[in-house]
Amino acid sequence: MKRTIAYLSLLFILGVLLYVANPDYGLKFGPGGDDWKNLRYTDDYYITHGVEEVGGTNIVTDIVFDYRGYDTIGEATVLFTAIAGAVALTRPWRGDEQ
Amino acid sequence: MGLIVKTSARAIIPLIGIFGTYIVAHGHLTPGGGFQGGATIAGAGVLFLVAFGLNEMRKHYNKHLYSALEGLGGLAFLGAAMLGIGTAFFYNTLWHNGPILNGKPGTLLSAGFLPIMNLAVGLKVFTGLVSALVAIAMYRRWKS
Repeated sequence: MKRTIAYLSLLFILGVLLYVANPDYGLKFGPGGDDWKNLRYTDDYYITHGVEEVGGTNIVTDIVFDYRGYDTIGEATVLFTAIAGAVALTRPWRGDEQ
Repeated sequence: MGLIVKTSARAIIPLIGIFGTYIVAHGHLTPGGGFQGGATIAGAGVLFLVAFGLNEMRKHYNKHLYSALEGLGGLAFLGAAMLGIGTAFFYNTLWHNGPILNGKPGTLLSAGFLPIMNLAVGLKVFTGLVSALVAIAMYRRWKS
């Protein structure tokens, strides 16, 4: 019973997502022309001003290390925590040497 | 592993290391960067462990050194972010009015603190992944 309801909920969520992903009602894929200026103006700014403002010709590195560096700090923290947790959990247990 | 695998690994591990270092060092010019290059160099560590075995890896792996280097990578990243703290956190002061790393865009010594951050993140990712890999490889308790 519970499992049936769970599967029905998953089916409902999938239907909603498919509806949203339809270009006639929701998201647009591969916008160009005026849509590019209206929907992707942030990307347009990065591509236009990235090289002169940050100096790197790799715009992705310009964004993740300069414009949105806090995100990279968080990412590095997540990696650090994951490594620390993995190393801490896989250490030998007490009295496990023999 | 067998003799052929060991000999091939001896030839390939330096190439992987050099290629990963290239990805890290040119992170601000070409696709790639700290995370991708660090993972590539960690792949050389995986190959070393798989080809030569855990006992050989234990001789060349120092837990304290790798932990310290991972922390040092994170601190270098934060330090590079703090360079322009007079204006704002993450202000790229080396690029706007710095003494070094302010060459023309497209050259290796350009882009302010981006190469420093790439090196720091690459060091951090490499040491972290190798530490986790060795920790999991030493987890040898198949029963119970």
